[in-house]
Amino acid sequence: MTDKNSDMNLKVVGKPAVKVDGLELVTGRAKFSGDMRFPGMVYGYAARAGVPAGKLKSVDVTGALEAEGVLAVLTAESLPGPNLMGILPPFDQPVLAADEIRYAGESVAFVVARTKRAARLASKLVKIEIEEYAPVLTTEEALKTGARKIHPDGNITYTRKLIKGDVEAGFADADLVVENDYETSFQEHAYIEPESVCAVPSGDNRVTVYASCQSPYHLRSHIAANIGLPHTKVKVIQAYTGGSFGGKDDAAAEIGILAAAAAVKLQRPVMVAHDREESIIGTNLRHAMKIHYKTGLKKDGTITARKAELVLDGGAYASESPFVVMKALIHAAGPYIIPNVMIESTAVYTNKTYSGAFRGFGVPQVTFAGETQLQEAADRLGLDPLDIRMKNALKPGEATATSQVLNESVGIRQTIECVQKRANEISVETYEDERYLYGTGYASMLQGISNGAEGIDVVGASVQMSQDGSVLVGAGLTELGQGARTVLAQIAAEVLGVPVERVTARLADTDSVHDSGPTVASRTTTTGGMAVYKAANEVKNSLLQMAALMFKTEAENIVLKEGFAVLVFDDSARIPISDVATAAYWTGFPLMNMAFSRAPDAEYDHDTHQGRIYIAYNFGTHMMRIRIDKSTGRVEVLNHVASHDVGKVINPLGLTGQVEGASLIGFGLGHMEKIEYDGGIIRNPNFADYAVPTIMDRIPTEVIAVEEATVNGPYGAKGVGEPPVAGATAAFANAVADAVGCRFRKIPVTREDILAAIRSAERQGE
Amino acid sequence: MEINFVINGEKRTEYAAAETRALDLLREDLNLTGTKEGCGKGECGACTILLDGKPVCSCLLPAPKLEGCSIVTIEGLKGDDGGLHPIQQAFLDAGAIQCGFCTPGMILSAKALLDNNPAPETAEIETALSGNICRCTGYGKIIEAVQLAAERMRVAK
Repeated sequence: MTDKNSDMNLKVVGKPAVKVDGLELVTGRAKFSGDMRFPGMVYGYAARAGVPAGKLKSVDVTGALEAEGVLAVLTAESLPGPNLMGILPPFDQPVLAADEIRYAGESVAFVVARTKRAARLASKLVKIEIEEYAPVLTTEEALKTGARKIHPDGNITYTRKLIKGDVEAGFADADLVVENDYETSFQEHAYIEPESVCAVPSGDNRVTVYASCQSPYHLRSHIAANIGLPHTKVKVIQAYTGGSFGGKDDAAAEIGILAAAAAVKLQRPVMVAHDREESIIGTNLRHAMKIHYKTGLKKDGTITARKAELVLDGGAYASESPFVVMKALIHAAGPYIIPNVMIESTAVYTNKTYSGAFRGFGVPQVTFAGETQLQEAADRLGLDPLDIRMKNALKPGEATATSQVLNESVGIRQTIECVQKRANEISVETYEDERYLYGTGYASMLQGISNGAEGIDVVGASVQMSQDGSVLVGAGLTELGQGARTVLAQIAAEVLGVPVERVTARLADTDSVHDSGPTVASRTTTTGGMAVYKAANEVKNSLLQMAALMFKTEAENIVLKEGFAVLVFDDSARIPISDVATAAYWTGFPLMNMAFSRAPDAEYDHDTHQGRIYIAYNFGTHMMRIRIDKSTGRVEVLNHVASHDVGKVINPLGLTGQVEGASLIGFGLGHMEKIEYDGGIIRNPNFADYAVPTIMDRIPTEVIAVEEATVNGPYGAKGVGEPPVAGATAAFANAVADAVGCRFRKIPVTREDILAAIRSAERQGE
Repeated sequence: MEINFVINGEKRTEYAAAETRALDLLREDLNLTGTKEGCGKGECGACTILLDGKPVCSCLLPAPKLEGCSIVTIEGLKGDDGGLHPIQQAFLDAGAIQCGFCTPGMILSAKALLDNNPAPETAEIETALSGNICRCTGYGKIIEAVQLAAERMRVAK
């Protein structure tokens, strides 16, 4: 679909578009699921374990049932289905704990009452008897021989290897080998809207679930299975969703199942809206990772080998761990040409809140380790940071760590050049400064677009034109704030030659389009956009055929633009699209199409992860310049340049928003955010103690887009939602090391860590 | 107990238990669901309303404290022509909205600022919005939006 020659003629794609759903958001009229109101609606609230591990002896609900306003209390036995959820079968996570408690935030019972307050108060009256076990709190402990098994098959959730070439020969060939241990912390999604659903029995033996969610079909199948209905008796409609970042992918399932089960039982609408604390302790986090990393290089900076062992703390349940294991594995070697690579990636169960999907999906952690180590090697070899990256960067015709030869859409070198150019332009303040330390950090990265090794990548979309020429677009992928509806509307508008204002891109509804899989992996613009592109082209064909009859010419002599069908050789010969659409309807041409896009399948060896895995990669290079107040450790980011190869910019306004937002999440991961555990209990489950970046912490991100088109995306576009997280995290870590003059191998590197390092350096200097 | 107040320019008398939060009175009794609950502890600013022109977290405010006050929620915000308020328009134009959940509170905090300071410096915008967390945008476009709104409001005057 790449047609570089037609770029000049694009009217909508590539132009800034105001969010198509912005009006309802600035006026407060948008209905998030917690804003739904139905007659007779009641509220659910979970009673949680409170201890991280133990045998669940009994759950006594009599006290709760007697409390004021309480209508029902569900326990594991109340669910008609298997009481199981997860991502990859066999599922390992109960909806309500049945025999064993595996983390402190685990739901044990579900109280339904007339008000949320009554439900919350009554949840404290559920008597949960637990015979406590000594919790397994670290991955080392979990992997010890004889460790208590958190699940029947042991404590290894998933483990995979990537093997390319001969890594030991590569190290033998190296002039310098750098080898270190790195560590990253759990990170909370901290979307401002906590998880929420509202389940409404619809009187026809179906139940409709309005959900703040990322993957409506996944939710539908989990609800249906657990309440004992065929999938098609459940309808999931995405409500306005207040951020997700991966967190409302599978995590919406628990409350979706519970609300639907209670709604069917009581035949009343049931609302669940998590409190902030529930959102933090109860639902998934970004994996904490321990990474042993080794790089071999020639004197000129050529990388000869990379080897890494990744241990992911998956917490109590598998959730997305298997896929994060794979994604981290595939990306650990970075965006470089490396002949010898060996990566081992393992997720481990512990008695902590389960880890799952979070924007970046394992890539930020490995990018931090790999780029920190590459910088350390560059420093030791006396090489320029961008030169060493350029020397090794992938280019068309070269192979990734999975031996996938990339023949097109490889813009890593261009991103390095863009950053180099900006770095040269940015005036560097004096480094002789009593008060401040200055530092600059660089990082390059890649991120696979599409489901890749996670499985088939299909999307369904519908496009219909009404007789008035307005357009309705539906897709099975969701709007989470990232601007999906705007991008999909732009693509339909471009194809059909109408202004984007004439297009309505609606929220996902499982009754209306093909199962499109989850809204993940930065795939919506790419694979979702392709489905809309195809469907819109079918409708366009009808319009062109009709217009050809009206103009008494052939369809190829007509273009659709500016809301008209126009003769190519006479721009003044125009028929309004609405007239064409009306005539097409009455002539019997179809004005609606359901299209299905299927990305090329991944083909690879499962033992070595060698093969073609992703349909395209987003490449990026970041530069961050910081200064640190020596007396306080306070970091100020002076410049942040983020260059990404996005294939084709569909909406420049949305693109910069995505890169800026993702970068601040990366900065939070690198500098500020840390879930603190004490004996398996999260000690900072609120925004006072868990430091989400505020406007005071913002960074001045400058976005430079590189457009190396892919044949697999609409107009050449590749997704960009996740990649900047990794770039910003790693560039920050290198900047702080440059400023302070010592390597930090554990993130976040907090203000306290920095101050301690400065003090320690001063003491050594005395 | 009886509570008398003016909400979005309209006089109301409501009845609520003494421990009711202003947030719940607005959302549940008046169905003004544009005011959001993000944390319930006054830490995120999603529930910001204007109480006699000042931004406050309605999740920490007991409903009886509304007695005799004038309240503006996002539903009450309008431009002089009855359309969007310039701040709302600027948030759209600058791309300062992503998921939109923090947006009502963010816009009301910005309004309180611009009502008192028509030409704020960046640092003053930061201070005024420091109680409103946004996880999506990285804040850059929010600052731009407030500056754009300030400029347009000054020109209009």
